[in-house]
Amino acid sequence: MSYADQTRSAYGNMINRVPESVRVYLPIVPVMVLVGVFILYPITQAIYSSFFSKSLLSPDDAEFVGAANYLEIWTNPDIHQVLWNTFIWVTVGSIAAIIFGFVLGWLLYEKLPYTSVASAIVLIPWVLPRVVGASIWQFMFGGDQGIINELLVQLGIIDEYLVMLGSGELSLWPPIVGMIWRLAPLFALLTLTSLQGIDEHLYEAARMDGATPWEQFRHITLPLMKYNLAIGFLLMLIYNIRNFSMVWVMTEGGPGVSSSTLPVMIYRTAFVDFNVGLASALSVLLFVVLLVFSYYYIKVYDKLQGEF
Amino acid sequence: MATDNTDPTAEFRKNQSWLFDTTAGAYLRKTVVGLVSIIAFLYILFPLYWMAVTAFKTTREIQQTPPTLFPESPSFEGFRQVIESSLQTGGYAGVVESIFGITVSSAINLDVLGIVFNSLKVSIGAGLIAVVLGTIASYVLSRRDFRGKNALMSILLASLMFPGTAIMVPEWELINTLNLYNTHTSLIFIYGAMTAPFVVWLMKGFFDEFPDSIIEASRIDQCSSVETFWYVIVPMARNSLIASFIFAFLLAWNELVFALTLLDNQNYTVPPGLLTFVQGFNTQWNVVAAASIIVSIPVLLGLAYIQRYFVQGLTGGAIKG
Repeated sequence: MSYADQTRSAYGNMINRVPESVRVYLPIVPVMVLVGVFILYPITQAIYSSFFSKSLLSPDDAEFVGAANYLEIWTNPDIHQVLWNTFIWVTVGSIAAIIFGFVLGWLLYEKLPYTSVASAIVLIPWVLPRVVGASIWQFMFGGDQGIINELLVQLGIIDEYLVMLGSGELSLWPPIVGMIWRLAPLFALLTLTSLQGIDEHLYEAARMDGATPWEQFRHITLPLMKYNLAIGFLLMLIYNIRNFSMVWVMTEGGPGVSSSTLPVMIYRTAFVDFNVGLASALSVLLFVVLLVFSYYYIKVYDKLQGEF
Repeated sequence: MATDNTDPTAEFRKNQSWLFDTTAGAYLRKTVVGLVSIIAFLYILFPLYWMAVTAFKTTREIQQTPPTLFPESPSFEGFRQVIESSLQTGGYAGVVESIFGITVSSAINLDVLGIVFNSLKVSIGAGLIAVVLGTIASYVLSRRDFRGKNALMSILLASLMFPGTAIMVPEWELINTLNLYNTHTSLIFIYGAMTAPFVVWLMKGFFDEFPDSIIEASRIDQCSSVETFWYVIVPMARNSLIASFIFAFLLAWNELVFALTLLDNQNYTVPPGLLTFVQGFNTQWNVVAAASIIVSIPVLLGLAYIQRYFVQGLTGGAIKG
C-alpha cells in the first residue's frame, strides 16, 4: 500500500466514522459559515442596533432607546423626501428599464443580424465597473461642458444650459437616466434568452390557423415569457432599490437630500453623521422592502422551475 | 451543400422574416424598426463613445463650449498622466529615471496600476472562494435529499437579495471586531459570501441535469465519491464553473460600498480609487476617462471570453432553474 493510499484510507476511515445523516451536511458547512458570518449575522446585528442610540465613533456607549429611531423615520421630513425619491427612482427606473430592455431584446432576437456580437456589445453598460458608468454620466450631465445640455439646446428643448446635477429640482433625474442605461441591457438579455427558448413550431401552427402577429404575440409569446419577465421585473426592482454608486458618484445625494435614495441616506447617516442607530433603523426598513420583493422572487422562481 | 442541411423551420422563419418581406406595409415597418434600433443603440453606445473620445482630448478642448464630437487634435495626454502618476505614486519614478532617463513628475496622485492590482487580488480571491465552496455545497444539495434542504436553499437565495448598502454599517462593525479593517482579506470574504449563494444555485442547475449513469459508471470503476467529483464531474462542469467564477469576479471588481467603507486610501480597489479620482479632479476629464478605460479592460475581456457561458449560465442556471 502506497503512502498516498494509506493517507487516503485514513481520511476515508475518519469520514466514514461520522454518521451518514450528519456527513451529508459537511460539504454545506463552509458555505453556510461564510454566508452566516458575513451576510446573515450583519442583518441581525442591524436589527439589534436599530433599537439603540449609538455613535460610530464610540460604539461602546450605546444606549437603549426602544423605537425612537423608527419614530424619527416617521417624523423627519428629510427622510420622507428620501423615501419619496426612492419610490420614484424604483418605479420610474424599473418601468423604463423594462420597456427599453424589452424593445432591445426583441430587436436583438429577430430584427438585427449578428445577435451574439450585438448582445455582447449591449451588455457592456451592465458589466462596466459601476463607478466608470456613473462617472461617464456625471461628465455628460455636468454643468459647463456637458454634452447633454448641448444636445438639448440643439434640439430646441431648452434655451440655455441648465445646472442639472446641482439643482434641487432636477438632480434626481440624471442618475435615473444612468441607471436605466445600466439595467436595460440585463433585461434585454433576459428577453432575448426567453424569446429564444420559445418553440418555433408554436408560431408555425398559429400561422396555419391564421393568427395575426399581434395574436401570436398575445397568446404565445407573452404567456410563455410570463415568468421570465416577472423574474426580470423583480430583479429590476431589487437592483434599483439597492443602487448606491449611480447616485453617490453623480450627486452624492445632494444638494440637500434632493437626489438621495434610501441606501445613500443610510451611508450618509452612518458615515457622515455617525448615527448608527438611525442608519440601522433605515437598513431594517430597506430589509423589509427587499424581503417582500425576494419573497415574490422566490415564489416566481419556484413556479418557473415547475414549468420547465 | 449547405442548403441541404438547413433546418426547415429556420428556412420557413427566414422566408417569413421582416427582412425579406416586400409587401407595401413592410417598408414602413422596416423604417420604424430601423429608427427604434438607431435610438436604442445610440442610448447604449453614445456614453461609451463619449468616454473613449474624451480620453483622447486635451484638457483645453474638453473645456470648450460647445463640446466637440471628435477630438480636433487627438492626444495621449490623459493616458500619459495616468501612467506617470501611477509610476510616481507606486514609487517607480526613480527606477524609470535610471533606466530610461525620463523624469516622471505628476501633479496627480492616483496609482491606477496599484488599484488594478488590488482589485485583481480581491476579485480572484473572492471568485475562488465562492466557486470552490459554492460548488461543493451545491453538489450535495443537488444529489442528496435531507432535512432542511429547501430551507437552506431559500436562505441562500434570500441572502442574495440583501447584500450591499443595507448591511454596510453592521459589516463595518464586524470587520473592526475581527481586526480585518483595511485588509483585502475582509473584502475577499465578503464578496465570496455575496456570490457563493449564486454559485450554489447556478451549479445546482447544472448538477440537477447531470446524468446519473456517468456517476454510476465511475462508481463501478471503483472511484470514491471525492474522486468521482474531482476527475469526472468537475471537468464536465467546466463551462458552468467558468461562468460562476466570472460572475463573482465581476461583482468583486465593480463593488463600491464595502470597498469604500472598509479600506483606507492607499489600499483602495478600482471603484473607490476611481471615485476619489473623479471627485478630486473634476476638470481633468481626459485623465478620468483614460483611467476608466484602463480599469474597464479586464472586465470587457472577461465578458468577451465568457459571453457564451454567460448566456448559458443565465438561462440554464439562474433563470430556468
